[in-house]
Amino acid sequence: MKIWVRDVGDAAVVEVEGDVDLGTSPALRRTLFESLPRVAKVALNLEAIRYIDSSGIATLIEVLKDSQRLNKEFVLFGLSPGVEQVFRLTHVIRIFQIFSTEQEALGTA
Amino acid sequence: MSDTPRRLRIKFDMPSDTRYLPVVRGAIGPLAAAIGWEESECRAITLAVDEALANVIRHAYNNRADGLIELECRESANGLEITLLDKGDAPEMSKICARELGCDQPGGLGTHIIRKVMDRVSYEPSPEGNRFVASKQLRKTP
Repeated sequence: MKIWVRDVGDAAVVEVEGDVDLGTSPALRRTLFESLPRVAKVALNLEAIRYIDSSGIATLIEVLKDSQRLNKEFVLFGLSPGVEQVFRLTHVIRIFQIFSTEQEALGTA
Repeated sequence: MSDTPRRLRIKFDMPSDTRYLPVVRGAIGPLAAAIGWEESECRAITLAVDEALANVIRHAYNNRADGLIELECRESANGLEITLLDKGDAPEMSKICARELGCDQPGGLGTHIIRKVMDRVSYEPSPEGNRFVASKQLRKTP
């Protein structure tokens, strides 16, 4: 799994490529928790994620809860059909703000 | 020659190391496809097997990478049967599947996925260790 972070205005766009599973989700968790305090919004691009398991979903839930505690925004965009299927299987799709594109996620569309 | 139908069986003897999870995932999807499931079902079955392995690594072996997991994926007469055997800590049955879905709590999602995807799931103590068995039937559309 590869992770990059780009700052766009007062937001951080986190790009992830590869598989998010029990072995790799701690690295994603660390990056998201490090990004959250220093920006107003974190937007996670899920487009290049080939696979995500429940540990990845649990990581996203933890980050969402921390964003609410810090009064920050945590949004997702670029869900592939495979990733969306896992969100639906775990019934968490409604608790996240999910957008199609980066521009929509950042509110610049 | 025997007239017993020939069916595929894949067996992994793997360390309880997360590095090997992608290797198993890479085999399960094509196996499910060969049996006859469509792409989204293949993804779901792969996820369920991966979650079962992750549960063993996390809970039976407490994230230690030096445990042994025996995984057998067997094509059955009408679907797929998965058997996992480990020699780690026995599962606490009262804690399995103890959360509600749809809430914002991060724990316990894996077991719910397994139960939702597979038709039958059982945890059986055995002299060899903890045995997890799950099966799914292929439903042919008329």
